[in-house]
Amino acid sequence: MNQHTPQGNNVVTQSLTQIGNCGLFLLTLLAAIPRSFRYVRETIRQLWFVGAMSLTIIMVCGLFVGMVLMLQLYHVLSIFGGTSASGMVVALSVYRELGPVVTALLFAGRAGTAITAEIGLMRATDQISAMEMMAVDPIAYVGTPRFLAGLIAMPLLCCVFCAMAVFGGHLVGVTWLGIDNGTFWSNMTAQVDVRTDIVNGVLLKSLAFGAVVSLIAVFQGFTTPPTSEGVAYATTRTVVASSIAILALDFVLTAFLM
Amino acid sequence: MTDSVRATPDDATLVRIRGLTTVLNGKVIFDALDMDIPRGKITSIMGPSGTGKTTLLKHITGQMHADAGSILVNGENVAGMSREQLYKMREGVGYLFQNSALLTDFDVFENVAFPLRQHTRLPEVLIRNLVLMKLQAVGLRGAARLMPNELSGGMARRVALARAIVFDPMLILYDEPFVGLDPVALNQVLKLILTLNRTLGITSVLVSHELAAVEQIADHVMLLSNGKVVAQGDPRTIASDGSAWTRQFFGGEADGPIPFRYPAGDYATELGFAEAKR
Repeated sequence: MNQHTPQGNNVVTQSLTQIGNCGLFLLTLLAAIPRSFRYVRETIRQLWFVGAMSLTIIMVCGLFVGMVLMLQLYHVLSIFGGTSASGMVVALSVYRELGPVVTALLFAGRAGTAITAEIGLMRATDQISAMEMMAVDPIAYVGTPRFLAGLIAMPLLCCVFCAMAVFGGHLVGVTWLGIDNGTFWSNMTAQVDVRTDIVNGVLLKSLAFGAVVSLIAVFQGFTTPPTSEGVAYATTRTVVASSIAILALDFVLTAFLM
Repeated sequence: MTDSVRATPDDATLVRIRGLTTVLNGKVIFDALDMDIPRGKITSIMGPSGTGKTTLLKHITGQMHADAGSILVNGENVAGMSREQLYKMREGVGYLFQNSALLTDFDVFENVAFPLRQHTRLPEVLIRNLVLMKLQAVGLRGAARLMPNELSGGMARRVALARAIVFDPMLILYDEPFVGLDPVALNQVLKLILTLNRTLGITSVLVSHELAAVEQIADHVMLLSNGKVVAQGDPRTIASDGSAWTRQFFGGEADGPIPFRYPAGDYATELGFAEAKR
């Protein structure tokens, strides 16, 4: 036990140091926002890469999540004769939890790793140093546009995910399993509250997750050792740290927002 | 600009280094280094690998800060500059990276145009003409629409050079500009460095191991080792100045003042022989 204590302390200290540095990096990114206004085109370009280019995976996954959710719920609810409520339960599950969380996890895997790898490789090939030498602030030109793009893209992607999940649920429930179309929609619209479910569930959570994933991705890119191995580890760390942060933050947000 | 960071510019010296001391990971890189880089000349800094030549360039441009000492560029102390002052100074300094460091998202034209677009509000037609002029100077006007991954090493180095001179800087720092180039590409880069210096009067600092190339263009050579300038002089005569440093470095001898072995503890002890003897 004694032998393991220093190592354990070391890991805890390193993790806390990383979190502290990440917090300081967030302040640097936020401070660079006014300077990054002149790079609006770069922000739009990044919005295309992290947002539009993630649409396919988000739409396909959303569709299947909605379909499988409806299938599971139908069989459980049919025991109690409550299949007419399946549409409503699918919608509430997706809006409150699955939509923001799964979108954020997919976003971390698809866009977060791409951001980390791109910035890491820019460091490894001296492109970041070259910008510094050309008197161009790399945080304002590279970091902040990617952070803002992630922040803007996440709620939009989450809306698309939720819409596709509801569509998937409708496809399985109404078209395949024979739930009445009117019952499906009327139960859903009666129970879904715009403030609690859409604003707090979809928008606020996805905004928070977007900020966390983008911050971790940009931070890892800027702080990774500029080597092939360093970039590989950094992309892995982005996924691991983002996933833990998303699930932990989801619990905290749910506790506060409910 | 505060008075503390401003000094009187010396007409003959563009970069003045005094008492520069840098320790990295417990290793002394510079030990109270003094160095003057004359204005309008080509100065070559040579020395064994790991002796801190690139680190010195990073100190001059403010990318790294020393533990002690001062570096005056055109009379202004780099260490005392704010970020805005540092960026202002860098607009007058070109830097050629060892691996060219072209922005991989942009083509050749946009790479050269990048500093102009960031720091000026020139009309597009003027940017276009300026970029084409710089590309013409390095012989690559026809490659304007190629992407960096379509360029050879020599071409990438020349594009990086065009980008470095886009603001007609007072000082260009070349970090190993000849590494990995074939004889033709090497001579092209060599000729460009010489032309920029002789025609535009740009002060050049050249970090290189290629004595044959340095001999052709440098006005002055400084040999760095153990954190100090151990020899300096005319590139055509420095190799034969008789000192042990120059004899080993230019003669390529494996051991001498520049040691073959990295400092280490007692060999027998590390192998466990000393304990076995007891």
